Amino acid sequence: MNTVAPRAITFDDFVPGALLGERTELVSDALAGPWQRIFGTRPEDGAAGGAEAASLAVVLMMRAYLAVVAPRPPGNVHARQAFSLQAPPRRGEAVRSVVTCLDKELRRGRRYVELQVQGSGDGGRPLYSARLSLIWAA
Amino acid sequence: MNSQPLQTATLKVDAETIRAYAELTDDFNPIHLDPAFAAATPMGGVIAHGTMSLCLLWQALFRSFGDRAFDGLDLDIRFVKPVRVGETLCAGGAPSTDAGADGCYDVWVRGDDGSDRVVGRLRPAPTC
Repeated sequence: MNTVAPRAITFDDFVPGALLGERTELVSDALAGPWQRIFGTRPEDGAAGGAEAASLAVVLMMRAYLAVVAPRPPGNVHARQAFSLQAPPRRGEAVRSVVTCLDKELRRGRRYVELQVQGSGDGGRPLYSARLSLIWAA
Repeated sequence: MNSQPLQTATLKVDAETIRAYAELTDDFNPIHLDPAFAAATPMGGVIAHGTMSLCLLWQALFRSFGDRAFDGLDLDIRFVKPVRVGETLCAGGAPSTDAGADGCYDVWVRGDDGSDRVVGRLRPAPTC
């Protein structure tokens, strides 16, 4: 049976103000281990501490955006990032990340897409609010 | 927080690091992983993931203030120059001297040549 690959989401598809979707993911060893392999395993590296936890908030933001806004054209570039951290996620916590399109704009021939990702943890406690500015490839 | 510069954090960015970060974030954009594809883009070659630098900034913050650095903060950064394979990044910052930015830090991530790859401002809560 032939299958047709889904069409990549293009700049024209984005609707400012539209809720794009959400993802819930556990803060687990499966995330912490790879973070430590890159950034270090010692307490002074922030392993199992604040640096790791704050980084995993960023990782969860990216994983949510990439899972929700898919498939994407290859070659997108991250231009700017705002990140408000209210509280770092805890190991074992289920983090719900909600992705919204805030804006899109053509500037100097480049396609800019602004996305918001808001993360909350157990009991709905606010964890982070992020704004990604991306140069969309198509 | 205080009036001292941030302690720095460094990271060697090689192809293995980029692959590991791609797997951590599920970000397999070929601009980070495929030299032939990346060479044909306006970036002209492979670039590291932008948020890898953000994580390095967190490490500089942690080294400066410990866990309390993450009790609440606002960060706004721009990725001003690509991070290339083989570079060693250094993240740091200093108290902002701009009017109206008391308690804030101007933060950066720099490459081997000392030029900025990431610049921005950190506003620790709730002083700013």
